[in-house]
Amino acid sequence: MSITPDRDETPQDRDVLAGEYVLGLVEGADRNALEQRIEQEPALAASVESWRDHLAAIDATARPIPPSPGLWSRIEAEIAAILPAAERGRSKAIKAGNTLANWWNSLFVWRGAAFAGALAVILLAIGLNGALDRAKRQPLMVAVLLTDTNVAAAVVNTFADGRVEMVPLQNIAVPEGRALEIWTLWDRAVGPRSVGLIDRARTTPLRLDQLPLGKDQLFEITIEPATGSPTGRPTGPIVAKGTTAQTL
Amino acid sequence: MASDTASTQKAGEIEAALLACASGDKSALRRIYDAECPRMIGVAQRLLRRRALAEEAVQDAFVLIWRHAARFDPQRGAGLTWIYAILRNRALSILRDEKRTELSETPIADETASEEDDPETVMTKLSDAKALHACLETLPEQRRGLVLLAFVQGLTHGEIAGRLKLPIGSVKSWIRRSLITLKECLG
Repeated sequence: MSITPDRDETPQDRDVLAGEYVLGLVEGADRNALEQRIEQEPALAASVESWRDHLAAIDATARPIPPSPGLWSRIEAEIAAILPAAERGRSKAIKAGNTLANWWNSLFVWRGAAFAGALAVILLAIGLNGALDRAKRQPLMVAVLLTDTNVAAAVVNTFADGRVEMVPLQNIAVPEGRALEIWTLWDRAVGPRSVGLIDRARTTPLRLDQLPLGKDQLFEITIEPATGSPTGRPTGPIVAKGTTAQTL
Repeated sequence: MASDTASTQKAGEIEAALLACASGDKSALRRIYDAECPRMIGVAQRLLRRRALAEEAVQDAFVLIWRHAARFDPQRGAGLTWIYAILRNRALSILRDEKRTELSETPIADETASEEDDPETVMTKLSDAKALHACLETLPEQRRGLVLLAFVQGLTHGEIAGRLKLPIGSVKSWIRRSLITLKECLG
């Protein structure tokens, strides 16, 4: 089945392609290309919607699993953290004429690129898939975060487009009901600022959109309550810390 | 979803909640959470096997729902369908695209799925959805199984071929033919 529009594509071909997409069988670059087509072709979009409608009954057969107690507060915390930047991004985009490019820019400000990949597709009201290829991008600066026994626990990568990510290098034990909070410190007079909160060690984009970023800037990870430090400053034990250095 | 009165009413509530989310009402997001979160974790767990990953997908989905509630268009489809499309896309991304840093022993697709997620078990649970159930019944059991393995467990063509020891070309063409049959039946 061809992903690019084809003069010879019959309505049946289109329905099959839409069905394969909704089943999750269109992968990688094909998926991205198809999502663009869905955005532009109402007939294809309608076919996708029709498959989703029919197959929704299968999702309804999934056994409900009660959420763990911290899930709602993690969602709330994430929403609270993104809202101001999201509002900023939105007003900026409207002022600049609400073009797609501006929308994208505001997104990059708003959140890390991993999530922007997801959002781009919601914009298309369709789906998401690998809008970024992290591996192709070379970081500008790297900080290796060491434990107090000098074991490398994580690295922080900063990229030319302003993205910053934290990549754990080993599993970090997080007690029940606690989370890992990531901090950066560029000026002792200002003090450390929180740039991320995760429930367990995993790669995560860091939110530095409004903060300075330079060489020899400190990053550290501490153990905090699940919803983040109550004081806005690190309160728990330091898991690891390190300072940024330029890559060659 | 099934078209009985209760689910129609539920669908209306979800759509009203999405509109309220779009105007910044966090309690509306909480209403969606209370109504759908357990089922969403169930759907995500079928795809991702691991509970922690399933909750992560659901967490991300709720943030996306909140952020983009204003983009939900009732003219284009049902609110529940929109929510589950966001969830499935997020879960498939975690499943396929994202390099997980945890020291994972086996690829997720190789992990044993719960027996509850077997195609024929799902079929028996589908009896409430009469149209879909009847149309799936018109397919031979094995072909119906291919469609359900893809949708329920998130398996790729290649993974289905490996699981069932079938040539990948046959898996692809059988799924295509099954989709044609289903489309004709479902209308």
